[in-house]
Amino acid sequence: MLFTIAWRNLWRHRTRSLAIIASVALGVWSGAFIVSLYYGMGNERVRIAIEEEVSHIQVHHPKFREDFEAAWNFRLDSLDEAMRKTPGIKAWSLRTTAQGMLANAAGSNGVQINGVDPAAEVATRKFDGFIVDGAYFDPEKRNQILIGKKLADKMKLTPGAKIVLTFLDPEQNIQAGAFRICGIYQSSNAPLDERNVYVKQSEFNELLDMPGRGNEAAVLLQDETFLPAVLTSLQQQLPGLQVESWRSISPETDLIISSLDISSLIIIVIIVLALAFGIINTMLMAVLERTREIGMLMAIGMTKPRLFSMVVLETIMLTMAGCPIGFGLAWTVNEWLSKNGLNLGNIAGNTMKDFGFGAIIYPDLPGFKVGQIIITVFITALLASVFPAWKALTMRPVEAIKR
Amino acid sequence: MNDATVIDIHNVSKIYNPDTIPVHAVNNVHLHFERGEFTALVGPSGSGKTTLLNIIGGLDAPSEGQVIINGTDITSLKPNQLINFRLQNIGFVFQSYNLIPVLSARENVEFILLLQGVSKAQREQRVQDLMNAVGLGDKMEVRPAQLSGGQQQRVAVSRALASKPQFILADEPTANLDSRSAANLLDIMAQLNHDEGMTFIFSTHDARVIERARRVITLEDGRVVSDKAVGVPTKGGRV
Repeated sequence: MLFTIAWRNLWRHRTRSLAIIASVALGVWSGAFIVSLYYGMGNERVRIAIEEEVSHIQVHHPKFREDFEAAWNFRLDSLDEAMRKTPGIKAWSLRTTAQGMLANAAGSNGVQINGVDPAAEVATRKFDGFIVDGAYFDPEKRNQILIGKKLADKMKLTPGAKIVLTFLDPEQNIQAGAFRICGIYQSSNAPLDERNVYVKQSEFNELLDMPGRGNEAAVLLQDETFLPAVLTSLQQQLPGLQVESWRSISPETDLIISSLDISSLIIIVIIVLALAFGIINTMLMAVLERTREIGMLMAIGMTKPRLFSMVVLETIMLTMAGCPIGFGLAWTVNEWLSKNGLNLGNIAGNTMKDFGFGAIIYPDLPGFKVGQIIITVFITALLASVFPAWKALTMRPVEAIKR
Repeated sequence: MNDATVIDIHNVSKIYNPDTIPVHAVNNVHLHFERGEFTALVGPSGSGKTTLLNIIGGLDAPSEGQVIINGTDITSLKPNQLINFRLQNIGFVFQSYNLIPVLSARENVEFILLLQGVSKAQREQRVQDLMNAVGLGDKMEVRPAQLSGGQQQRVAVSRALASKPQFILADEPTANLDSRSAANLLDIMAQLNHDEGMTFIFSTHDARVIERARRVITLEDGRVVSDKAVGVPTKGGRV
């Protein structure tokens, strides 16, 4: 009957209870929406990192990532063989990279030169889809180069323009090559666009004098779930090389994902803390209004634990009643946005791309986050009930009955 | 004290503001009540009737003295023990009825049985019997707000009786009732006193209650100034 009393007590002041329920619903909705927006951004960042930047797995010489020099290379045929034998791999791209300088008559810029197999690069990260001016590599033409839009804008370069690349070969000799810009690409990560230029691997290897060798393999999996198995398999097959997942290659992406949990929890806690004061106030009013009734309950034999439970129960019911409404709202909005996306480009301009995020966010609310919000709201209700319940317990029946 | 004694009050005093200007609400009272009594505590306002009733009911602690109910000195009980003691031994009827407004009449009566841990079947039977006894068998599912003052007070009497207490304390039970409702309520209580030997102790100003009482205790300035047996003996009790 404590449930019955607690539930019916909620509706003694319908408007007041509805106001609290509505504020909890809005709090839950806003918390759920912000969390789903965060996760949408996180998912988008991971998608970009995997599909447009580093792929699921990369293979390097163990010393390569210390200074990114061309000297740290390996034979490509053994890698090709390992990739073919490993299940779960969708595509791979073997690259030759070196740090260098891109220059024309007007100026110069430090770049990372990526020698790629045009077809493999398209299979691994749909690179041809990023071209915003000019065209992707033409198999019939030599000395073509793709540069990022941000670099092109900075150096006022357009397709057809000639540039010179200068770089160190594995013997630490300075080499140079003249290239003509065939296309300008734009990915979702503007800083990387400014830094990376792409040439054909065969031509780059000639200039470096390292035929049949490279220093990076990017591996795209059929699905993220294959990651642990493929990682282990490649590590076993390529003992002298460093095989790493995107989490190691792109630690900033991993950091973003890890921080999502904490930052979204902080936001939820801030929202429910704000709600807690409203709940405490309402429940305190509810208790003080019923002083005589509480006095009577204690007089006829209601023990303190039961009285405490009644107030706690009432607070929990009042608070939790807002949860389904809040989640219903969140679900409705998320359903619509998961199909249509939320275009933050209209608000943030290119800022999103400058930080490696896509402009369109598709909110995502994982199940465990729903559970986390419910638990947080429940704990808030529990804590918010303590003061009103304590207030009820401190009443003396003989005085309370007289009120 | 004999076997029929339900309440024994020894040297009970209640002093407010003992360190400043002491007020003796109850002053050195000795009383004892036997099973089946139908007693009125009377006296002018401020004479200590309600305070004495609260002390007997364990709602207030005396400054001095002992209250022994069925052999238990309730002044020595801890607060939680006292709550449980009240639940098992004492029925209360308040001037303002004090029903739980969100519960129906039936639920109000049943609530105390739930607190006692009585089984569902027994609860249902007991509530039905009590509601019939107070003439509200057809108002079981009605909420207090839809009942008249007299009907609410009858529900309160049912609730007080539900726990099968040793006695019922009623503080000005007819004060808010019209004469017809008051008479009706007194009839019911007198009937319960007569048929079941239930002990009733009232505090009252109401001449209608005093007329029906078998014992009238008069208080003035916290002291018992008279204690008279009146009328005919009730079943199982003393006059």
